[in-house]
This record gives sequence, C-alpha cells and structure tokens, in this order.
Amino acid sequence: MAMRAAILRHIRIPVRSYALEFKPRELNLSGGSLMRFMSSHDEHLTKEEVVERVLSVVKSFPKVDPSAVTTDVHFQKDLGLDSLDNVEIVMALEEEFKLEIPDLEADKIDSTGLAIEYIYNHPMAG
Amino acid sequence: MSAAAAAAAAAATTAAYLARRAAQKQRVRILYRRALKDTLNWAVHRHLFYQDASDLRERFDANKNVEDLDTIDKMIAEGEASYNKWRHPDPYIVPWAPGGSKFTRNPTPPEGIEIIYDYGREDNA
Repeated sequence: MAMRAAILRHIRIPVRSYALEFKPRELNLSGGSLMRFMSSHDEHLTKEEVVERVLSVVKSFPKVDPSAVTTDVHFQKDLGLDSLDNVEIVMALEEEFKLEIPDLEADKIDSTGLAIEYIYNHPMAG
Repeated sequence: MSAAAAAAAAAATTAAYLARRAAQKQRVRILYRRALKDTLNWAVHRHLFYQDASDLRERFDANKNVEDLDTIDKMIAEGEASYNKWRHPDPYIVPWAPGGSKFTRNPTPPEGIEIIYDYGREDNA
C-alpha cells in the first residue's frame, strides 16, 4: 500500500498552467467562438484580413508574378496586365468578398491599394 | 504622302480623338465585364466557365489592334447587341443587392420608433 503510494507519487506529472496564447486583434473579437454576432451588420472585416485576401486573390491570378504583389501595386503599370485582365481581377475580388460592385465603380479600381480601400469601406463586404 | 501621314499623326493625338478612344475603351471594359458575368451565369460549373471565359477573352483579344475609330464603334455596338441577345433570364445577383433575395428583407426601422417591452405589466401606481 505504501509502495503503491510511493510509486504514484514518483510518477505524478506536475501540473503546468499554460498561458493562453490570446492575441487580441483590434476590433475583431469574433474569432469564431468568443463572440457571436446575431446580426449580419455588426461584424466587419479587419483591414489586415482584407489585405490578406485581396493579395491572395491577386497572387493566384495566372498572369501575375506573385512576388511582385504588394499592397500598393498598380495592375497595369506595375504588374504589366491588360485592361481586360484588370476587369477579370475585379470580378475575382467581387466573388471573393461576395460584393456587387457597380460597373462604373469597378472600372476605376486600378490597383491593390484602391481595391483594399474600396472593400474595407464597403458595408457588405464578406 | 508624308504630309498625309503627318496630318494623320496630328489627328491621332488631338484631345477629341483621345477622348473618343478613352470612351471606347471604357465601353469595351464594361462590355467585357458584363459578358464575363453572363458567361458565369450560363456556365454554372467552374470548369465550363473557365473554358467559356477563355473563349470570350480570345474573341476580345482578336480585335485588340484595330485602329479605325468607326470600325471600333461598330464592333462595340455589335458586341453589345450580341450581349443583349444572350443575357441570362435569371442571373445570379448577390443577395443584398437590388434584385437579390435578401434585398430590403429586413430594413432598419425608421428613427424615433421605439418598442417598449413591458410584457403586459400593469401600471397601477
């Protein structure tokens, strides 16, 4: 009996308290499980999410060199794309963020900077 | 010969010419955008859409180097006519946009209206 207790004491694993790796991001407490927004108008995308998704869409365009894409790249001047390629990229961004951009507005989106700004300021960007 | 060429070169860069070219380019871009969306509406599955989209792109690219303004205008008009002919009767519209399924579904209540939840509590004070 004492032997058993001695053995158990010997192999007991010490309890370590792990500090929670919680990086509070600005404005976004949702994180999926922390806060539930009951309306579709409460949560908005953070700027870094928008930037990340816009850049990933532009980088996965087949005619674009992924290493040349930064947050302020002009599609036709810096990346050497066509105006029709510009239209295709804007359509891809519309599909990514589930937006409906009016034709004249979409015509003006010429660079990643403009795209990020437009999408970030759009109330219905998903 | 060189005088005619010089005159043509001078006409090529006047403001009116450039304005007309710019307007044409914008029409082409908007036409391409609408045609691409329509292609997506007709060919719902992605692999079909990619093929149709590259066909559309090739049709636009084949006419890329036309210089004469009137031919360009005619081609754009033909393109718009064929776009109007092939428009999808039930296009996919993003739900919250006009024409979509969620448009004006739950409008925000007007200002100044307040719902008082008193659950039938009687005020016998």
